[in-house]
Amino acid sequence: MATATLPHASADTVSTPLWTTSGTPVPTGLTGQPRISQLSGEKFHRLAAQWRAERGPTSSISQMAMHPAYQQIIGMGLAVLPLLLHELATEPDHWFWALKAITGVDPVPPESRGRIRAMAEAWLRWGRQQGYLS
Amino acid sequence: MSFYRYFPQLAHTGCRIVSACSREYNCIAWAAGEQDRWWWPDANDIGYWPADVPREETIDAFIRAYQTLGFASCDDATLEPGSEKVAIYALAGKPIHAARQLSNGRWTSKLGNCEDIEHTLDGLTGSTYGSVVQIMRRPRI
Repeated sequence: MATATLPHASADTVSTPLWTTSGTPVPTGLTGQPRISQLSGEKFHRLAAQWRAERGPTSSISQMAMHPAYQQIIGMGLAVLPLLLHELATEPDHWFWALKAITGVDPVPPESRGRIRAMAEAWLRWGRQQGYLS
Repeated sequence: MSFYRYFPQLAHTGCRIVSACSREYNCIAWAAGEQDRWWWPDANDIGYWPADVPREETIDAFIRAYQTLGFASCDDATLEPGSEKVAIYALAGKPIHAARQLSNGRWTSKLGNCEDIEHTLDGLTGSTYGSVVQIMRRPRI
């Protein structure tokens, strides 16, 4: 189980609230943690909604992760970590590939593979330890 | 998300929705009789996959995964009293879906993040899931 500490993003450090795909603000993180601008938040919402609408009835984790909208979310990098973690907290979904790609770590124990709620809990624990969630 | 647009054959063969949407499990798990984890041999070690079976998206790996549960390959999709069967669908040579036969001869599938449905094998063939490439069976418990 990886527990490496990540460097925190420095580009988006505005004080505007974070936003979820459902439009509710994300609880603010700790001071100095990566924040996301409203513009980036809106981009995340749009891409997440597009991914949900277009991924279809697939079982393939690889196929879901290769969707262009999902890849764009990965491309947004560390700045979207709080949003991804908050999504897991409110509505667990297949954000694990993105989280691994962005962070380079995997806090999910092997026995929890495939168990969506257990995987989400492992990532949320990691997020709190790293200061991405309050 | 309505799944019907992905499976135009269902308009002719019919289907019955038997459960609500869930992200807790997928078709591979459902065909294996599980409802609490998502089976997939992705290269990123996210999905569950049986130990000692290659984590690769090949028909052979999917056959080997079901072999761990006592299924053996066969070439007959008809209902056989005393047997439980699964069908593996593939598209362009890649496994994409699995269904399990019910005791009434119809088949049950979990459609990705969507519902479980009862259907015919032909009902899910097409550009989304491809076609059935392998039938497997084991003694019905």
